[in-house]
Amino acid sequence: MSEDPFLRLMCLGCGFSYDEALGLPEHGIAPGTRWKDIPEDWVCPDCGTPKHLFEMVVLGYAEGGAAAAVRA
Amino acid sequence: MQNAFVLRAAERGHDLIKSDGSRSSYVAGHPDGFIIRESSFNFHDYQSGRPGFGKIRVFGDEVFAGAGCGYNMHPHHNFAICAFVLQGELTHINTAGEGTVDTLRQGDYYVFSAGSGGKHSELSITRADMHAIYIWFLPSQLYLPPSYHRNHFDFRKRRNALVQLVGDEDGALPIPQDVRVSRLISDSGKPYVYRPRSSAHGTYAFVLEGALKAGDITLGRRDSAGIWGVEEILLETEADATDVLLVETIMPETSGAAAH
Repeated sequence: MSEDPFLRLMCLGCGFSYDEALGLPEHGIAPGTRWKDIPEDWVCPDCGTPKHLFEMVVLGYAEGGAAAAVRA
Repeated sequence: MQNAFVLRAAERGHDLIKSDGSRSSYVAGHPDGFIIRESSFNFHDYQSGRPGFGKIRVFGDEVFAGAGCGYNMHPHHNFAICAFVLQGELTHINTAGEGTVDTLRQGDYYVFSAGSGGKHSELSITRADMHAIYIWFLPSQLYLPPSYHRNHFDFRKRRNALVQLVGDEDGALPIPQDVRVSRLISDSGKPYVYRPRSSAHGTYAFVLEGALKAGDITLGRRDSAGIWGVEEILLETEADATDVLLVETIMPETSGAAAH
Protein backbone atom coordinates (compact mmCIF):
# COMPACT_ATOMS: atom_id res chain seq x y z
CA MET A 1 0.00 0.00 0.00
CA SER A 2 1.39 3.35 -1.00
CA GLU A 3 1.75 5.91 1.73
CA ASP A 4 0.89 8.80 -0.56
CA PRO A 5 -2.34 10.50 0.50
CA PHE A 6 -5.38 9.65 -1.56
CA LEU A 7 -6.23 12.20 -4.24
CA ARG A 8 -9.56 13.73 -5.16
CA LEU A 9 -10.26 14.93 -8.67
CA MET A 10 -13.13 16.78 -10.27
CA CYS A 11 -14.47 16.49 -13.80
CA LEU A 12 -14.29 19.90 -15.46
CA GLY A 13 -17.20 18.98 -17.72
CA CYS A 14 -19.79 18.43 -15.01
CA GLY A 15 -18.22 18.44 -11.53
CA PHE A 16 -18.34 14.67 -10.95
CA SER A 17 -15.68 13.81 -8.38
CA TYR A 18 -13.35 10.83 -8.23
CA ASP A 19 -11.90 9.95 -4.83
CA GLU A 20 -9.05 7.42 -4.83
CA ALA A 21 -10.03 6.26 -1.33
CA LEU A 22 -13.59 5.47 -2.39
CA GLY A 23 -13.06 4.30 -5.96
CA LEU A 24 -16.22 3.83 -7.99
CA PRO A 25 -17.41 0.34 -7.05
CA GLU A 26 -20.61 0.66 -9.09
CA HIS A 27 -18.47 1.40 -12.15
CA GLY A 28 -16.01 -1.43 -11.48
CA ILE A 29 -13.25 0.64 -9.82
CA ALA A 30 -12.28 -0.71 -6.40
CA PRO A 31 -11.73 1.58 -3.39
CA GLY A 32 -8.08 2.59 -3.17
CA THR A 33 -7.56 2.64 -6.94
CA ARG A 34 -5.02 5.33 -7.79
CA TRP A 35 -5.87 7.86 -10.50
CA LYS A 36 -2.70 6.91 -12.40
CA ASP A 37 -3.92 3.31 -12.54
CA ILE A 38 -7.19 4.22 -14.25
CA PRO A 39 -6.90 3.70 -18.03
CA GLU A 40 -6.15 6.81 -20.09
CA ASP A 41 -9.23 6.17 -22.24
CA TRP A 42 -11.54 6.21 -19.22
CA VAL A 43 -14.21 8.92 -19.37
CA CYS A 44 -16.48 10.58 -16.80
CA PRO A 45 -19.40 8.21 -16.16
CA ASP A 46 -21.83 11.15 -16.00
CA CYS A 47 -20.84 13.29 -18.97
CA GLY A 48 -18.19 11.52 -21.06
CA THR A 49 -15.42 14.06 -20.46
CA PRO A 50 -12.00 12.44 -20.98
CA LYS A 51 -9.79 11.55 -18.02
CA HIS A 52 -7.18 14.22 -18.78
CA LEU A 53 -9.79 16.95 -18.24
CA PHE A 54 -10.17 16.15 -14.55
CA GLU A 55 -8.50 18.52 -12.10
CA MET A 56 -7.02 17.54 -8.76
CA VAL A 57 -8.78 19.33 -5.91
CA VAL A 58 -7.91 19.67 -2.23
CA LEU A 59 -11.42 19.78 -0.80
CA GLY A 60 -13.12 18.12 2.12
CA TYR A 61 -16.59 16.64 2.02
CA ALA A 62 -19.62 18.38 3.40
CA GLU A 63 -21.27 16.49 6.28
CA GLY A 64 -22.56 13.18 4.94
CA GLY A 65 -20.91 13.86 1.59
CA ALA A 66 -18.47 10.97 1.56
CA ALA A 67 -21.29 8.47 2.18
CA ALA A 68 -23.23 10.04 -0.71
CA ALA A 69 -20.14 9.94 -2.95
CA VAL A 70 -19.91 6.15 -2.57
CA ARG A 71 -23.36 5.89 -4.14
CA ALA A 72 -22.53 8.25 -7.03
CA MET B 1 2.76 43.09 -6.40
CA GLN B 2 0.20 43.67 -9.10
CA ASN B 3 -0.36 40.97 -11.66
CA ALA B 4 -2.72 41.15 -14.58
CA PHE B 5 -3.78 39.52 -17.81
CA VAL B 6 -5.97 40.90 -20.57
CA LEU B 7 -8.29 38.82 -22.71
CA ARG B 8 -9.72 40.65 -25.71
CA ALA B 9 -13.19 39.73 -26.95
CA ALA B 10 -11.90 38.08 -30.12
CA GLU B 11 -9.33 35.97 -28.25
CA ARG B 12 -11.97 33.96 -26.41
CA GLY B 13 -12.88 30.43 -27.32
CA HIS B 14 -15.69 30.35 -29.88
CA ASP B 15 -18.21 27.54 -30.29
CA LEU B 16 -21.33 27.32 -32.39
CA ILE B 17 -23.14 24.20 -31.29
CA LYS B 18 -26.02 23.06 -33.46
CA SER B 19 -28.78 20.83 -32.21
CA ASP B 20 -28.04 18.08 -34.70
CA GLY B 21 -26.45 14.67 -34.81
CA SER B 22 -25.16 13.39 -31.49
CA ARG B 23 -25.29 16.95 -30.13
CA SER B 24 -29.10 16.98 -30.27
CA SER B 25 -29.28 15.05 -27.02
CA TYR B 26 -27.23 17.79 -25.38
CA VAL B 27 -28.40 20.91 -27.21
CA ALA B 28 -32.17 21.42 -27.35
CA GLY B 29 -34.17 22.96 -30.17
CA HIS B 30 -33.61 20.40 -32.91
CA PRO B 31 -33.44 20.88 -35.87
CA ASP B 32 -32.83 24.64 -36.11
CA GLY B 33 -31.63 25.56 -32.62
CA PHE B 34 -28.03 26.50 -31.94
CA ILE B 35 -25.93 27.89 -29.12
CA ILE B 36 -23.14 30.41 -29.55
CA ARG B 37 -20.66 30.25 -26.71
CA GLU B 38 -17.71 32.60 -26.22
CA SER B 39 -15.52 31.17 -23.47
CA SER B 40 -13.08 33.21 -21.41
CA PHE B 41 -11.86 30.13 -19.59
CA ASN B 42 -12.69 26.53 -19.92
CA PHE B 43 -11.23 23.16 -20.38
CA HIS B 44 -11.32 23.04 -24.16
CA ASP B 45 -8.15 23.10 -26.18
CA TYR B 46 -9.02 26.28 -28.03
CA GLN B 47 -6.29 28.44 -26.64
CA SER B 48 -2.97 28.24 -24.91
CA GLY B 49 -4.52 30.56 -22.36
CA ARG B 50 -5.96 30.11 -18.94
CA PRO B 51 -7.97 27.11 -17.80
CA GLY B 52 -9.41 29.28 -15.05
CA PHE B 53 -8.82 32.16 -12.66
CA GLY B 54 -8.83 31.56 -8.93
CA LYS B 55 -11.96 29.45 -8.31
CA ILE B 56 -13.52 30.31 -11.70
CA ARG B 57 -13.46 27.46 -14.19
CA VAL B 58 -16.01 28.58 -16.78
CA PHE B 59 -17.01 32.05 -17.92
CA GLY B 60 -19.34 31.65 -20.88
CA ASP B 61 -20.93 34.45 -22.88
CA GLU B 62 -23.79 32.51 -24.47
CA VAL B 63 -26.68 32.99 -26.89
CA PHE B 64 -29.48 30.44 -27.32
CA ALA B 65 -30.91 30.98 -30.81
CA GLY B 66 -34.17 29.53 -32.06
CA ALA B 67 -37.35 28.79 -30.10
CA GLY B 68 -36.77 25.83 -27.81
CA CYS B 69 -32.98 26.08 -27.87
CA GLY B 70 -30.81 25.47 -24.83
CA TYR B 71 -29.34 22.59 -22.87
CA ASN B 72 -31.43 19.49 -22.27
CA MET B 73 -31.62 18.05 -18.75
CA HIS B 74 -28.15 16.89 -17.69
CA PRO B 75 -26.36 16.14 -14.40
CA HIS B 76 -23.83 18.09 -12.38
CA HIS B 77 -22.01 17.67 -9.12
CA ASN B 78 -20.12 20.14 -6.96
CA PHE B 79 -19.86 23.16 -9.26
CA ALA B 80 -21.58 26.36 -8.19
CA ILE B 81 -23.12 27.61 -11.43
CA CYS B 82 -24.36 31.17 -11.87
CA ALA B 83 -26.37 32.62 -14.74
CA PHE B 84 -26.96 36.32 -15.41
CA VAL B 85 -29.66 36.95 -18.02
CA LEU B 86 -28.92 39.88 -20.32
CA GLN B 87 -31.65 39.51 -22.95
CA GLY B 88 -34.55 37.25 -23.77
CA GLU B 89 -36.15 34.75 -21.46
CA LEU B 90 -34.47 31.79 -19.77
CA THR B 91 -36.46 28.86 -18.46
CA HIS B 92 -34.33 27.16 -15.85
CA ILE B 93 -35.38 23.75 -14.51
CA ASN B 94 -33.41 22.05 -11.75
CA THR B 95 -33.77 19.13 -9.38
CA ALA B 96 -32.29 20.79 -6.26
CA GLY B 97 -34.44 20.06 -3.23
CA GLU B 98 -38.01 19.54 -4.41
CA GLY B 99 -37.08 20.89 -7.82
CA THR B 100 -37.63 24.27 -9.44
CA VAL B 101 -38.98 25.65 -12.68
CA ASP B 102 -38.00 29.29 -12.95
CA THR B 103 -38.32 31.96 -15.62
CA LEU B 104 -35.58 34.58 -15.74
CA ARG B 105 -35.54 37.77 -17.79
CA GLN B 106 -33.23 40.75 -18.22
CA GLY B 107 -31.55 41.52 -14.89
CA ASP B 108 -32.52 38.22 -13.28
CA TYR B 109 -29.79 35.87 -12.11
CA TYR B 110 -29.36 32.66 -10.16
CA VAL B 111 -26.84 30.59 -8.21
CA PHE B 112 -27.31 26.83 -8.63
CA SER B 113 -24.98 24.85 -6.40
CA ALA B 114 -25.04 21.28 -7.71
CA GLY B 115 -23.36 19.84 -4.59
CA SER B 116 -24.14 16.17 -4.03
CA GLY B 117 -25.86 16.00 -7.40
CA GLY B 118 -28.45 17.88 -9.36
CA LYS B 119 -29.74 18.01 -12.90
CA HIS B 120 -30.70 21.10 -14.80
CA SER B 121 -32.04 22.23 -18.11
CA GLU B 122 -31.56 25.70 -19.59
CA LEU B 123 -34.04 26.68 -22.31
CA SER B 124 -35.10 29.66 -24.37
CA ILE B 125 -38.70 28.88 -25.26
CA THR B 126 -39.60 32.10 -27.03
CA ARG B 127 -38.54 33.15 -30.53
CA ALA B 128 -36.24 35.86 -29.18
CA ASP B 129 -32.61 35.00 -28.63
CA MET B 130 -31.68 34.41 -25.00
CA HIS B 131 -28.39 35.93 -23.96
CA ALA B 132 -26.74 35.11 -20.62
CA ILE B 133 -23.40 34.94 -18.87
CA TYR B 134 -22.67 31.60 -17.20
CA ILE B 135 -19.97 31.31 -14.52
CA TRP B 136 -18.88 28.07 -12.84
CA PHE B 137 -16.97 28.10 -9.57
CA LEU B 138 -15.24 25.30 -7.72
CA PRO B 139 -17.06 24.78 -4.40
CA SER B 140 -15.65 25.10 -0.88
CA GLN B 141 -16.55 21.47 -0.10
CA LEU B 142 -17.53 18.40 -2.06
CA TYR B 143 -21.10 17.06 -1.95
CA LEU B 144 -22.79 20.02 -0.32
CA PRO B 145 -26.60 19.91 -0.21
CA PRO B 146 -27.79 21.16 -3.62
CA SER B 147 -29.32 24.63 -3.57
CA TYR B 148 -30.89 27.20 -5.86
CA HIS B 149 -31.30 30.92 -5.22
CA ARG B 150 -32.35 33.66 -7.59
CA ASN B 151 -32.66 37.39 -7.54
CA HIS B 152 -33.15 40.45 -9.75
CA PHE B 153 -30.75 43.29 -10.47
CA ASP B 154 -32.73 46.47 -11.14
CA PHE B 155 -30.44 48.64 -13.20
CA ARG B 156 -32.93 51.50 -13.18
CA LYS B 157 -32.54 51.90 -9.44
CA ARG B 158 -28.92 50.87 -9.13
CA ARG B 159 -27.22 52.98 -11.75
CA ASN B 160 -23.79 54.47 -11.07
CA ALA B 161 -23.04 52.14 -8.18
CA LEU B 162 -21.09 48.94 -7.64
CA VAL B 163 -23.71 46.40 -6.62
CA GLN B 164 -22.81 42.99 -5.22
CA LEU B 165 -25.07 40.35 -6.74
CA VAL B 166 -23.47 37.19 -5.34
CA GLY B 167 -21.50 37.01 -2.11
CA ASP B 168 -21.82 37.91 1.52
CA GLU B 169 -23.31 41.42 1.41
CA ASP B 170 -26.88 42.13 2.44
CA GLY B 171 -29.26 41.08 -0.32
CA ALA B 172 -26.62 39.24 -2.36
CA LEU B 173 -27.18 35.58 -3.22
CA PRO B 174 -25.17 33.14 -1.11
CA ILE B 175 -22.54 30.92 -2.71
CA PRO B 176 -20.40 28.22 -1.08
CA GLN B 177 -17.03 29.68 -2.06
CA ASP B 178 -14.83 32.68 -1.27
CA VAL B 179 -16.03 34.60 -4.33
CA ARG B 180 -18.16 37.65 -5.07
CA VAL B 181 -19.86 38.88 -8.23
CA SER B 182 -20.67 42.56 -8.61
CA ARG B 183 -22.16 44.60 -11.42
CA LEU B 184 -21.68 48.18 -12.42
CA ILE B 185 -23.88 50.07 -14.87
CA SER B 186 -22.63 53.59 -15.19
CA ASP B 187 -22.61 56.80 -17.14
CA SER B 188 -19.39 57.81 -18.84
CA GLY B 189 -16.47 59.41 -17.08
CA LYS B 190 -17.19 58.21 -13.55
CA PRO B 191 -14.51 56.87 -11.23
CA TYR B 192 -15.01 53.93 -8.89
CA VAL B 193 -12.79 51.99 -6.51
CA TYR B 194 -13.25 48.23 -6.28
CA ARG B 195 -11.75 46.74 -3.13
CA PRO B 196 -11.50 42.97 -3.05
CA ARG B 197 -11.65 41.39 0.39
CA SER B 198 -7.85 41.20 0.47
CA SER B 199 -4.83 41.34 -1.81
CA ALA B 200 -5.01 37.52 -1.87
CA HIS B 201 -8.21 37.88 -3.91
CA GLY B 202 -8.12 38.41 -7.65
CA THR B 203 -10.74 40.26 -9.67
CA TYR B 204 -11.90 39.38 -13.15
CA ALA B 205 -13.49 42.40 -14.86
CA PHE B 206 -15.65 41.64 -17.89
CA VAL B 207 -17.12 44.50 -19.93
CA LEU B 208 -20.61 43.57 -21.12
CA GLU B 209 -21.18 46.92 -22.83
CA GLY B 210 -19.32 50.19 -23.19
CA ALA B 211 -15.72 50.81 -22.18
CA LEU B 212 -13.81 50.69 -18.93
CA LYS B 213 -10.40 51.62 -17.66
CA ALA B 214 -9.26 49.25 -14.92
CA GLY B 215 -6.00 50.51 -13.46
CA ASP B 216 -3.99 51.23 -16.60
CA ILE B 217 -5.84 48.65 -18.74
CA THR B 218 -8.46 49.87 -21.23
CA LEU B 219 -11.22 47.39 -22.02
CA GLY B 220 -13.86 47.57 -24.75
CA ARG B 221 -17.06 45.60 -25.20
CA ARG B 222 -16.59 41.93 -24.17
CA ASP B 223 -12.93 42.50 -23.32
CA SER B 224 -11.86 41.36 -19.88
CA ALA B 225 -8.95 41.43 -17.49
CA GLY B 226 -7.87 39.53 -14.41
CA ILE B 227 -6.04 41.59 -11.80
CA TRP B 228 -4.59 40.22 -8.58
CA GLY B 229 -2.15 41.07 -5.82
CA VAL B 230 -3.68 44.51 -5.17
CA GLU B 231 -5.81 46.00 -2.40
CA GLU B 232 -7.92 48.11 -4.71
CA ILE B 233 -8.61 48.61 -8.39
CA LEU B 234 -9.35 52.04 -9.80
CA LEU B 235 -12.10 51.90 -12.40
CA GLU B 236 -13.26 54.59 -14.78
CA THR B 237 -16.10 54.28 -17.25
CA GLU B 238 -15.34 55.61 -20.71
CA ALA B 239 -18.74 55.29 -22.42
CA ASP B 240 -22.33 55.88 -21.43
CA ALA B 241 -24.27 52.85 -20.21
CA THR B 242 -21.08 50.94 -19.53
CA ASP B 243 -22.04 47.61 -18.01
CA VAL B 244 -19.41 45.53 -16.19
CA LEU B 245 -19.31 42.28 -14.22
CA LEU B 246 -16.60 42.06 -11.55
CA VAL B 247 -15.87 38.56 -10.34
CA GLU B 248 -13.72 38.39 -7.23
CA THR B 249 -12.11 35.11 -6.21
CA ILE B 250 -9.61 33.88 -3.69
CA MET B 251 -6.40 33.02 -5.52
CA PRO B 252 -4.11 30.03 -5.07
CA GLU B 253 -1.06 30.91 -3.01
CA THR B 254 1.48 30.43 -5.76
CA SER B 255 0.10 31.78 -9.03
CA GLY B 256 -2.74 33.47 -10.77
CA ALA B 257 -3.81 30.59 -12.93
CA ALA B 258 -5.71 27.47 -12.09
CA ALA B 259 -3.45 24.66 -10.97
CA HIS B 260 -2.67 22.43 -13.90
